[in-house]
Amino acid sequence: MTKEELLSKLKTIITPYVQNEEGLTTLTEDTDFIKDLEINSANLVDVVLDVEDEFDIEIDNESMEKMLTVKASIAVIEDKLASK
Amino acid sequence: MIGNDIVDLQLAKTQSNWQRRGWLQKICTKQEQQYIFTSGKAEVQLWQFWSMKEAAYKAHQRRFNLSRRYNPKNFQCTPKGEVYVDDYSYKTFTEIQNEYVYSIAMTSNEDYHSSVYDKTMNACSKLKETISEKLNIDSSLIHFTKNSNGIPLVHIDQKVIQLPLSLTHHGTYSAFVVSI
Repeated sequence: MTKEELLSKLKTIITPYVQNEEGLTTLTEDTDFIKDLEINSANLVDVVLDVEDEFDIEIDNESMEKMLTVKASIAVIEDKLASK
Repeated sequence: MIGNDIVDLQLAKTQSNWQRRGWLQKICTKQEQQYIFTSGKAEVQLWQFWSMKEAAYKAHQRRFNLSRRYNPKNFQCTPKGEVYVDDYSYKTFTEIQNEYVYSIAMTSNEDYHSSVYDKTMNACSKLKETISEKLNIDSSLIHFTKNSNGIPLVHIDQKVIQLPLSLTHHGTYSAFVVSI
Protein backbone atom coordinates (compact mmCIF):
# COMPACT_ATOMS: atom_id res chain seq x y z
CA MET A 1 0.00 0.00 0.00
CA THR A 2 1.41 3.40 -0.94
CA LYS A 3 1.60 6.26 1.52
CA GLU A 4 -1.06 8.11 -0.50
CA GLU A 5 -3.46 5.18 -0.23
CA LEU A 6 -2.76 4.92 3.47
CA LEU A 7 -3.33 8.64 4.00
CA SER A 8 -6.56 8.50 2.03
CA LYS A 9 -7.86 5.57 4.12
CA LEU A 10 -6.88 7.34 7.32
CA LYS A 11 -8.67 10.49 6.19
CA THR A 12 -11.87 8.50 5.61
CA ILE A 13 -11.56 7.00 9.10
CA ILE A 14 -11.07 10.27 10.97
CA THR A 15 -13.64 12.32 9.03
CA PRO A 16 -16.71 11.43 11.17
CA TYR A 17 -14.90 12.60 14.34
CA VAL A 18 -13.51 15.89 13.01
CA GLN A 19 -15.02 19.02 14.56
CA ASN A 20 -12.93 21.50 12.60
CA GLU A 21 -13.78 20.77 8.95
CA GLU A 22 -11.30 23.37 7.73
CA GLY A 23 -8.41 21.32 9.12
CA LEU A 24 -9.58 18.40 7.00
CA THR A 25 -9.35 20.33 3.72
CA THR A 26 -5.71 21.17 4.44
CA LEU A 27 -4.80 17.73 5.82
CA THR A 28 -1.07 16.93 5.75
CA GLU A 29 1.23 14.54 7.61
CA ASP A 30 1.76 17.24 10.21
CA THR A 31 -1.94 17.57 11.02
CA ASP A 32 -2.61 17.11 14.74
CA PHE A 33 -5.86 15.28 15.56
CA ILE A 34 -6.68 17.36 18.62
CA LYS A 35 -5.09 20.75 17.90
CA ASP A 36 -5.90 21.01 14.19
CA LEU A 37 -8.96 18.82 13.71
CA GLU A 38 -10.46 19.26 17.19
CA ILE A 39 -11.22 15.57 17.50
CA ASN A 40 -12.58 14.93 20.99
CA SER A 41 -10.03 12.98 23.02
CA ALA A 42 -12.58 10.25 23.83
CA ASN A 43 -13.08 9.78 20.07
CA LEU A 44 -9.38 9.02 19.54
CA VAL A 45 -10.22 5.53 20.83
CA ASP A 46 -12.71 5.21 17.97
CA VAL A 47 -10.03 6.26 15.49
CA VAL A 48 -7.73 3.56 16.90
CA LEU A 49 -10.50 0.91 16.75
CA ASP A 50 -11.46 1.92 13.20
CA VAL A 51 -7.81 1.72 12.13
CA GLU A 52 -7.61 -1.79 13.64
CA ASP A 53 -10.71 -2.88 11.71
CA GLU A 54 -9.74 -1.24 8.41
CA PHE A 55 -6.18 -2.60 8.30
CA ASP A 56 -6.80 -5.81 10.26
CA ILE A 57 -4.05 -5.01 12.76
CA GLU A 58 -3.86 -4.82 16.54
CA ILE A 59 -2.72 -1.60 18.15
CA ASP A 60 -1.18 -2.06 21.58
CA ASN A 61 -1.08 0.65 24.25
CA GLU A 62 2.46 1.62 23.43
CA SER A 63 1.54 2.38 19.83
CA MET A 64 -1.77 4.02 20.73
CA GLU A 65 0.11 6.54 22.90
CA LYS A 66 1.69 8.05 19.80
CA MET A 67 -1.42 8.35 17.65
CA LEU A 68 -2.00 12.08 18.05
CA THR A 69 -0.96 13.13 14.54
CA VAL A 70 -1.39 11.88 10.98
CA LYS A 71 2.34 11.24 10.69
CA ALA A 72 2.58 9.17 13.88
CA SER A 73 -0.54 7.18 12.98
CA ILE A 74 0.79 6.34 9.53
CA ALA A 75 4.08 5.20 11.11
CA VAL A 76 2.17 2.94 13.53
CA ILE A 77 0.03 1.47 10.72
CA GLU A 78 3.05 0.84 8.48
CA ASP A 79 4.90 -0.79 11.35
CA LYS A 80 1.98 -3.09 12.21
CA LEU A 81 1.36 -3.99 8.55
CA ALA A 82 5.04 -4.85 8.10
CA SER A 83 5.04 -7.22 11.06
CA LYS A 84 1.82 -8.98 10.01
CA MET B 1 0.21 20.93 40.11
CA ILE B 2 -3.38 20.82 39.01
CA GLY B 3 -5.59 19.57 36.15
CA ASN B 4 -9.30 19.43 35.36
CA ASP B 5 -11.69 17.82 32.89
CA ILE B 6 -15.40 18.12 32.16
CA VAL B 7 -17.73 15.75 30.29
CA ASP B 8 -21.02 17.03 28.89
CA LEU B 9 -23.14 13.90 29.46
CA GLN B 10 -25.70 14.76 26.79
CA LEU B 11 -23.01 15.26 24.15
CA ALA B 12 -21.09 12.17 25.31
CA LYS B 13 -24.21 10.09 24.58
CA THR B 14 -24.16 11.01 20.91
CA GLN B 15 -20.41 11.47 20.50
CA SER B 16 -19.17 8.22 22.02
CA ASN B 17 -20.45 4.68 21.79
CA TRP B 18 -18.58 3.41 24.84
CA GLN B 19 -20.26 0.01 24.55
CA ARG B 20 -18.57 -0.54 21.21
CA ARG B 21 -16.48 -3.73 21.19
CA GLY B 22 -12.95 -3.02 22.41
CA TRP B 23 -13.62 0.61 23.41
CA LEU B 24 -13.54 0.22 27.19
CA GLN B 25 -10.60 -2.21 27.03
CA LYS B 26 -8.46 0.45 25.36
CA ILE B 27 -9.12 3.02 28.09
CA CYS B 28 -9.80 1.20 31.35
CA THR B 29 -7.92 -1.38 33.36
CA LYS B 30 -9.63 -4.68 34.26
CA GLN B 31 -10.34 -3.39 37.76
CA GLU B 32 -11.89 -0.19 36.42
CA GLN B 33 -14.05 -2.15 33.97
CA GLN B 34 -15.23 -4.43 36.74
CA TYR B 35 -16.06 -1.46 38.95
CA ILE B 36 -17.95 0.25 36.11
CA PHE B 37 -20.14 -2.79 35.48
CA THR B 38 -20.89 -3.48 39.14
CA SER B 39 -21.50 0.16 40.08
CA GLY B 40 -25.14 0.13 38.99
CA LYS B 41 -24.51 3.37 37.05
CA ALA B 42 -22.10 2.20 34.37
CA GLU B 43 -22.28 5.20 32.07
CA VAL B 44 -21.75 7.87 34.75
CA GLN B 45 -19.06 5.74 36.39
CA LEU B 46 -17.22 5.44 33.09
CA TRP B 47 -17.26 9.20 32.51
CA GLN B 48 -16.16 9.78 36.08
CA PHE B 49 -13.11 7.55 35.54
CA TRP B 50 -12.48 9.18 32.17
CA SER B 51 -12.53 12.72 33.60
CA MET B 52 -10.31 11.61 36.52
CA LYS B 53 -7.81 10.18 34.04
CA GLU B 54 -7.85 13.31 31.87
CA ALA B 55 -7.54 15.66 34.85
CA ALA B 56 -4.66 13.61 36.33
CA TYR B 57 -3.01 13.43 32.90
CA LYS B 58 -3.01 17.24 32.70
CA ALA B 59 -1.62 17.64 36.23
CA HIS B 60 1.07 15.02 35.52
CA GLN B 61 2.00 16.49 32.14
CA ARG B 62 2.29 19.99 33.60
CA ARG B 63 4.26 18.82 36.60
CA PHE B 64 7.02 17.30 34.48
CA ASN B 65 6.51 19.28 31.24
CA LEU B 66 5.93 16.02 29.37
CA SER B 67 5.26 15.77 25.65
CA ARG B 68 1.71 14.79 24.76
CA ARG B 69 0.72 11.13 24.79
CA TYR B 70 -2.55 9.27 24.43
CA ASN B 71 -2.31 6.81 27.28
CA PRO B 72 -5.50 6.89 29.37
CA LYS B 73 -5.04 3.29 30.47
CA ASN B 74 -1.80 4.15 32.27
CA PHE B 75 -3.76 6.41 34.61
CA GLN B 76 -5.31 3.97 37.04
CA CYS B 77 -8.30 5.13 39.06
CA THR B 78 -9.49 3.87 42.40
CA PRO B 79 -13.10 4.20 43.57
CA LYS B 80 -11.83 6.46 46.37
CA GLY B 81 -10.67 9.06 43.83
CA GLU B 82 -6.95 8.40 43.62
CA VAL B 83 -5.24 8.15 40.25
CA TYR B 84 -1.93 6.30 39.92
CA VAL B 85 0.52 6.71 37.04
CA ASP B 86 3.98 5.13 37.09
CA ASP B 87 5.26 5.87 40.61
CA TYR B 88 3.09 8.94 41.15
CA SER B 89 -0.36 9.49 42.53
CA TYR B 90 -2.94 12.26 42.28
CA LYS B 91 -5.93 13.14 44.41
CA THR B 92 -9.11 13.87 42.51
CA PHE B 93 -12.46 15.43 43.34
CA THR B 94 -15.42 14.78 41.08
CA GLU B 95 -18.69 16.66 40.88
CA ILE B 96 -21.50 14.66 39.31
CA GLN B 97 -24.56 16.49 38.02
CA ASN B 98 -27.35 15.33 35.73
CA GLU B 99 -25.79 17.40 32.93
CA TYR B 100 -22.07 16.90 33.44
CA VAL B 101 -19.25 15.14 35.28
CA TYR B 102 -16.38 17.38 36.39
CA SER B 103 -13.07 16.26 37.93
CA ILE B 104 -10.13 18.14 39.42
CA ALA B 105 -6.80 16.38 40.03
CA MET B 106 -3.88 17.62 42.11
CA THR B 107 -0.60 16.43 43.52
CA SER B 108 -1.48 17.28 47.11
CA ASN B 109 -4.08 19.26 48.99
CA GLU B 110 -3.79 22.70 47.43
CA ASP B 111 -6.00 25.72 47.82
CA TYR B 112 -7.79 26.19 44.56
CA HIS B 113 -10.59 28.10 42.90
CA SER B 114 -12.76 26.34 40.38
CA SER B 115 -16.00 27.12 38.58
CA VAL B 116 -18.14 25.45 35.94
CA TYR B 117 -19.97 27.54 33.32
CA ASP B 118 -22.60 26.85 30.72
CA LYS B 119 -22.78 28.42 27.27
CA THR B 120 -23.56 31.92 28.53
CA MET B 121 -20.15 32.37 30.17
CA ASN B 122 -16.61 31.71 29.12
CA ALA B 123 -14.33 29.94 31.61
CA CYS B 124 -11.25 31.55 30.09
CA SER B 125 -12.39 35.14 30.69
CA LYS B 126 -13.69 34.18 34.15
CA LEU B 127 -10.27 32.75 34.95
CA LYS B 128 -8.71 36.03 33.93
CA GLU B 129 -11.12 37.88 36.23
CA THR B 130 -10.26 35.56 39.12
CA ILE B 131 -6.50 36.01 38.68
CA SER B 132 -7.02 39.76 38.36
CA GLU B 133 -8.99 39.88 41.63
CA LYS B 134 -6.73 37.57 43.63
CA LEU B 135 -3.46 39.17 42.57
CA ASN B 136 -4.93 42.67 42.35
CA ILE B 137 -3.73 43.20 38.79
CA ASP B 138 -5.60 44.84 35.94
CA SER B 139 -7.07 42.06 33.78
CA SER B 140 -5.84 43.74 30.57
CA LEU B 141 -2.28 42.84 31.65
CA ILE B 142 -3.07 39.10 31.85
CA HIS B 143 -2.58 36.89 28.79
CA PHE B 144 -2.62 33.13 28.25
CA THR B 145 -0.43 31.23 25.81
CA LYS B 146 0.65 27.60 25.45
CA ASN B 147 4.15 26.15 25.38
CA SER B 148 5.33 23.61 22.79
CA ASN B 149 3.81 20.76 24.82
CA GLY B 150 0.42 22.49 24.83
CA ILE B 151 0.67 23.46 28.48
CA PRO B 152 -0.98 26.81 29.31
CA LEU B 153 1.19 29.68 30.53
CA VAL B 154 0.09 32.87 32.26
CA HIS B 155 1.74 36.12 31.28
CA ILE B 156 1.38 39.17 33.46
CA ASP B 157 2.62 42.35 31.87
CA GLN B 158 4.69 40.27 29.37
CA LYS B 159 6.30 38.12 32.10
CA VAL B 160 5.49 34.43 32.57
CA ILE B 161 4.38 33.63 36.10
CA GLN B 162 4.15 30.19 37.67
CA LEU B 163 0.48 29.67 38.36
CA PRO B 164 -0.92 26.14 38.35
CA LEU B 165 -4.12 26.26 36.32
CA SER B 166 -6.21 24.19 33.94
CA LEU B 167 -9.08 24.86 31.54
CA THR B 168 -11.53 22.37 30.07
CA HIS B 169 -14.57 22.49 27.82
CA HIS B 170 -16.90 19.93 26.32
CA GLY B 171 -20.21 20.63 24.61
CA THR B 172 -22.20 23.18 26.58
CA TYR B 173 -19.86 23.31 29.56
CA SER B 174 -16.51 24.81 30.41
CA ALA B 175 -14.56 25.11 33.65
CA PHE B 176 -11.36 26.43 35.11
CA VAL B 177 -9.29 25.59 38.13
CA VAL B 178 -6.46 27.70 39.46
CA SER B 179 -4.26 27.24 42.50
CA ILE B 180 -3.79 30.74 43.84
